[in-house]
Amino acid sequence: MNLFWEFFTFELKFRAKSISTYAYFLLWFLFSFFCIASESFGPVGFSNGKVLLNGPYANTLDFTAATFFGTIVIAAIFGTSILRDFQRDTYQMIFTKPISKFGYLGGRWAGSFVTTVFVFSGLIFGTWLGTFAPWADHVRIAPNHFWWYAQPFLSICVTQIFFFGSVYFVVAALSRKIFVVYVQGVLFFMLYLMGLTIYSATRSLERFWSGIFDPAGFLLLSDITRYWTVAERNTLLYSWSAHSGQGVFLYNRLLWLSVAVLSLVIGWVLFPMSVEALTAKSQGRRAAKAKLQDEIESRAKRSLVAAVLPRIHQVFGPVTGWMQFASLTVMRTRMLLREIPFWALAALAIAFSISNGYFAGHLGEQNVWPVTFLMVQAVEGTATLFFYIVAGLYAAELIWRERDVRIDGIVDALPMSETIDWLSKFATIMVVEALLLLIPLVCGVVMQASSGYYHFELLQYLKELYLVTYPQIAMFALLAMFVQTIVSNKFIGHAIVIGIYLLNPILYNVGWQNTLYLIGWTPTYTYSDMNGYGHFVPILFWSIAYWLAVTGILAVISIALTRRGSDDSWAARSKMARGRLPKLVPSLALFVIAAIGCGIWYYYNGHVLNEYLDAKARRGIQADYERNFKKYENLAQPKVLAVDSRVDIDPAHRSFAGSATYTLQNKTAAPIPEIHLTDQHESVSNVSFDRGFRKVSCAARNSYCIYALDQPLEPGAVVKMTFNVGHQSRGFRDGNELPEFAYNGTFFDSDYFPYIGYNRGVELDDPRRRREEKLGPLEEMASRGDAKQSLYNLFVQDSDWIHFHTVVSTSADQTAIAPGYLKKEWTENGRRYFEYDMGAQQIADFFAYISGRYDVKRENYKGVNVEVYYTPAHQFDVNDMIDASKRGLDYYQQNFSPYQFAQYRIIEFPRYRGFAQSFPNTIPYSEDIGFIERVEKKKDIDFTYFVTAHELGHQWWGHQLIGANVEGSNMMSETLAEYSALMVMEKKYGKDQMRRFLRHEVDTYLRGRGGETRREPPLVQVQREPYVWYYKGGLVMYTLADYIGEDKVNLALHNFLEKYRYANAENTETQPYPDTRELVASLREQTPPELQYLITDGFESIVLYDNKALTAVVTPTADGKFKVTLTVQARKVKADGNGDESPMGMNDYIDVGVFSGTKDDEKQLYLKREKFTQEKQTFEIIVDEMPTRAGIDPYNKLIDRVSDDNTIDVT
Amino acid sequence: MALTINGLSKTYPNGVQALKNLSLTIGNNMFGLLGPNGAGKSTLMRTVATLQDPDAGSITLDGIDVLKQKNEVRKVLGYLPQEFGVYPKMSAADMLLHLAVLKGIASAGERKEMVDALLQQTNLWEARKKSLSTYSGGMKQRFGIAQALLANPKLIIVDEPTAGLDPAERNRFLNLLSSIGRDVTVILSTHIVDDVRELCPRMAIIASGQVLQEGSPNDALAALQGKIWSKVVKSDDELKAIETQMNVISTHLVSGLHEIRVYSESNPGDGFRCVDSGLEDVYFLNLSRHTLN
Repeated sequence: MNLFWEFFTFELKFRAKSISTYAYFLLWFLFSFFCIASESFGPVGFSNGKVLLNGPYANTLDFTAATFFGTIVIAAIFGTSILRDFQRDTYQMIFTKPISKFGYLGGRWAGSFVTTVFVFSGLIFGTWLGTFAPWADHVRIAPNHFWWYAQPFLSICVTQIFFFGSVYFVVAALSRKIFVVYVQGVLFFMLYLMGLTIYSATRSLERFWSGIFDPAGFLLLSDITRYWTVAERNTLLYSWSAHSGQGVFLYNRLLWLSVAVLSLVIGWVLFPMSVEALTAKSQGRRAAKAKLQDEIESRAKRSLVAAVLPRIHQVFGPVTGWMQFASLTVMRTRMLLREIPFWALAALAIAFSISNGYFAGHLGEQNVWPVTFLMVQAVEGTATLFFYIVAGLYAAELIWRERDVRIDGIVDALPMSETIDWLSKFATIMVVEALLLLIPLVCGVVMQASSGYYHFELLQYLKELYLVTYPQIAMFALLAMFVQTIVSNKFIGHAIVIGIYLLNPILYNVGWQNTLYLIGWTPTYTYSDMNGYGHFVPILFWSIAYWLAVTGILAVISIALTRRGSDDSWAARSKMARGRLPKLVPSLALFVIAAIGCGIWYYYNGHVLNEYLDAKARRGIQADYERNFKKYENLAQPKVLAVDSRVDIDPAHRSFAGSATYTLQNKTAAPIPEIHLTDQHESVSNVSFDRGFRKVSCAARNSYCIYALDQPLEPGAVVKMTFNVGHQSRGFRDGNELPEFAYNGTFFDSDYFPYIGYNRGVELDDPRRRREEKLGPLEEMASRGDAKQSLYNLFVQDSDWIHFHTVVSTSADQTAIAPGYLKKEWTENGRRYFEYDMGAQQIADFFAYISGRYDVKRENYKGVNVEVYYTPAHQFDVNDMIDASKRGLDYYQQNFSPYQFAQYRIIEFPRYRGFAQSFPNTIPYSEDIGFIERVEKKKDIDFTYFVTAHELGHQWWGHQLIGANVEGSNMMSETLAEYSALMVMEKKYGKDQMRRFLRHEVDTYLRGRGGETRREPPLVQVQREPYVWYYKGGLVMYTLADYIGEDKVNLALHNFLEKYRYANAENTETQPYPDTRELVASLREQTPPELQYLITDGFESIVLYDNKALTAVVTPTADGKFKVTLTVQARKVKADGNGDESPMGMNDYIDVGVFSGTKDDEKQLYLKREKFTQEKQTFEIIVDEMPTRAGIDPYNKLIDRVSDDNTIDVT
Repeated sequence: MALTINGLSKTYPNGVQALKNLSLTIGNNMFGLLGPNGAGKSTLMRTVATLQDPDAGSITLDGIDVLKQKNEVRKVLGYLPQEFGVYPKMSAADMLLHLAVLKGIASAGERKEMVDALLQQTNLWEARKKSLSTYSGGMKQRFGIAQALLANPKLIIVDEPTAGLDPAERNRFLNLLSSIGRDVTVILSTHIVDDVRELCPRMAIIASGQVLQEGSPNDALAALQGKIWSKVVKSDDELKAIETQMNVISTHLVSGLHEIRVYSESNPGDGFRCVDSGLEDVYFLNLSRHTLN
């Protein structure tokens, strides 16, 4: 015990004197400080804006992330404590003394543990101090609670330190190699990330074992807090109870703590306490070496007379320079390729590429063809990190190697220029990197082939890997070489290089987004099969050229400052540099000129030709708009009756120009003297009216203009407004390229046309951002029945239903599309013209223009032209889309109402945006979400089919029926389109498939609640909550159809639609738009009294079930049948908008079922809807076959946070 | 070949004055540089080998300004530093071939011929494919010698070359050096007096950055002839007594007794006998005189 104390205090004293201890402490201190003080920093920065920054969830999340990324710190402290004696050869002294194993190992371990806990306590102090930062967002900072810090620190940091520290300690004690200590940290880190990727790709909703077996805590965190609402996130900590959350946390801790204890025991047993045993291996090696020498020395000796050395000829000239360069590069490359760490990194890169490549075909919920851009993205993804590590690591190794192995005395005196030597170091890195980049290439092709995709676009691989990534690695290598040349110590150099690498994304996140000063930065770009690298080519080219030139300057400076000879002082080096400079000046000048040239050109494009706006500046514009013009929100304005436009798209210049006429009518009862226009995109000009007018004012950026009519527009009177529209792309932007304009696949909508009056859609909605702009809370939508807002529709308040006519032209090789029937098509001046007209059919004022090079698949189905415009490479799902459209047309016409158009067109657009959108008879559909889908297995979800049916559904819900501009209306568009699509899909894929699908939908809904930044509304009162109107809405409607019958629901919808479709189409505004009260009434009409609660719970409240099977026992009956005695629990709670819950009484009908087969592959033997009036109920059920599973609500028709425990094994 | 060193001075940042206005002229043939540790030998050698610059002074090699035209010097230089390491996982033959390229031997045939000859000469032929990192100290030293002799250097600087060599290898190396040294300038720094005596027609003794004596070893010996006296003393007390009275150059232990050598123009009497002078006496005498000054 005495010895233990001796070693323990020694360890503590040693660490107390070590600067690294304080550096680590400071690291965690600063990390957690900025998590609070700077909103966009740290893990909590990415969670939603209502989660308290110093709340229990925030601390849990930040501490989990810190201990995970700090695993290398833990390795460093625990590992080195035991290795110190071996590195410094003090083991000979220590182990020849009478010390006990417990004293030695235990003392070192305990000292390290205490040190590490101290280091990580920086998290607590940093967080705490951060809450006092005056500039922090104090709305999100609660008064500090001691337990909110202490509990996460003890239950996460301390236990993780215990676990990781013990394992690292034992590995270090048994291997006694510093290399192993660091590699295990890195290895764990990488393997864990790989595991996470694999797990998430399985799309499992399993939340028990995954949490228990997670050593680092991210899955655990997600499993436990997945459905926590904001209220819960701000009050709950991880519970150590076995009853809370199925005890996942408790079992996880127990598991890993026992692993730690076990490893300590193993270490204690296996660690040898004698010098011989500890050094057996190295002694063996020494003996072998001595033997070899003896052998050589004992060979016959030669004469002592010196032989005459041959005469050779030295040649010095350019050729020698090349030979020297080649010889150095070959030698260095060979040496590098012989290193074990290099191969370890390469092996990890291969493992990453293969595992990521394997999942390249898994895109969210969908399986897709692993097309090349996806595959490159997948295999290159994380592997790139290794290429940077190799560049940084070997930049240092090569710069320092001669000094490290002390051969500099010989090498520095060789007749060779520093430039050649330096260039060969750089060339070595680049040769090796070129080889490494073959890893993603080969893995990508192999993984494509292995998943049955044979369209290998090698050129695309080469472009991405060798034209985009390779130069960036080169920049990084040059930067690292420069840093290593400047600093006096390799490890300081590493720290600086890592710092720079991490600094960029941090700066970017906090709003410093200028490519010209983010070292080595290139703006984000997106590859698209439709467009290739498209308009990103110049951005990439110039940013890469700029940074290559800048790093080239650093390279020349590095050459000038290269160490040579024995005098390392700065005086000596700068003297040498002056001597070398004359020869280097031309290349230096070249790089400087190139950097300045590229910089100026980049600046000219990004900041002069195009206004440079970072995210904050863009929000500022939105805020200004609201501040300055919200006062006009309720000003009476005329509405648009008709749009007639002429639009000329110039894809090659990513531009368009056009003119249009709006027919406006005063539908109000008072004269309108002024017409106000919102112009979001600065795309409107030359506004004029067919009567006397003058421009009163126009705000900056043309965002809001006011025109006064000489004669006010009388009630019912009509005025024609003509204007020009257009957008001119100039050069390139520093990030934030407009996705609407592409060489192939232009797609912009009516947002580029003027909006009459103030547009609320422009307002900022994130509460954090509003606070930042000092805007006050976002105005709520009007409540249902609001007389004024019921005269405006939800989507566009400046019109009701319009007549639409347009002539659109594009380049000769493209097709241009807009809503309307094609009246005429012609070619003029080498351009193609299309005239589209909606004729007498009125549409919502919501139109778009699309232009691209398309193949078209057409089918006339019962009088409707179903057409898919797709890029030739994407034929995979065209038939699926057509099929979904046909089935949808049938179902909707049969159940809802006739289709109002004679065509339905789906048009692919580039994946710069990833959605599909329903314009009248025109569906722009991103190449990302439907065109590369692959449905192979029976269980695969056919997402394309679903989305196509959903968008078709909007032709009814959104284009026939539009709700008033009040709360709730959006569900009548989205929830009903979702329901329509679910029904179409069910007809093709069956109920089982729908259950699987809906389970993911509910999961998304429940997770969405946790991300709510305002408060969760009931379904019929949604405002801006997609997670409610899609995922909850879909399930609630589907369940209602299950309970009262599909035909009843459809009848209700039919009745509702018949009554309200084309509401307010009269120019007199006599028929207000409907709201969800009318929908609910229509549904209630078809719902029997005992099931009315379903509508109250599902539509008008937030209700969550907690259903659970408790016991299920089977006994054979006398007549050869089986009796199952099933006890189940049924509970439900009502939540408010913040997630606070209160229990509800039970008077519900819930399914009870018995199954054979295994979990997730059950065959139904019995299913009956039972009435529940109390929490626990027991049923006796007779079935014919031997049952294996039984439970309550087995198909998860009700929203239940733990859906897994609804059924259990029958015993 | 002639190397002229003129007024060389060097002071390190820590205040150590390594060279003090040192001047030397070294012609063809072997030149021995004797001096104790810290005398400034290595600084001088590194300066001549273009690895560092002096604060003042000049060095010329046959009209080449060594301090300015470093690359010209490096072309004709063969340098063996006092201490050096090797790349791990690289064989002696590969490394020598690589260095031969760097030294401008353009012909692959010549490179091979030279490397083979040197490997033979330094008795590394058998181990030529072994990784250098497995070499013993002596083998590594021989490799160092081999690399210094690549490319027929005209100026060879060898810093403590015989340290770590066994007697046979030392002899072989000295033979090799002397066979080359006839046409080229060889500067050999050492603290082993015998190396210089056996090899060098000319030598210099330096201490504290200054030249104490320069000339041929024979002249130096002749000058001391008859002035070195030796005596075996019986006790430490006696040794102490003599030390205070006379100019004791050195002491050796002989069978546990001190044999002392003193410098004296005439017989110091009392048991002293006149002995042949050795180069060691020259060396120690210079050092002790220097210390007295």
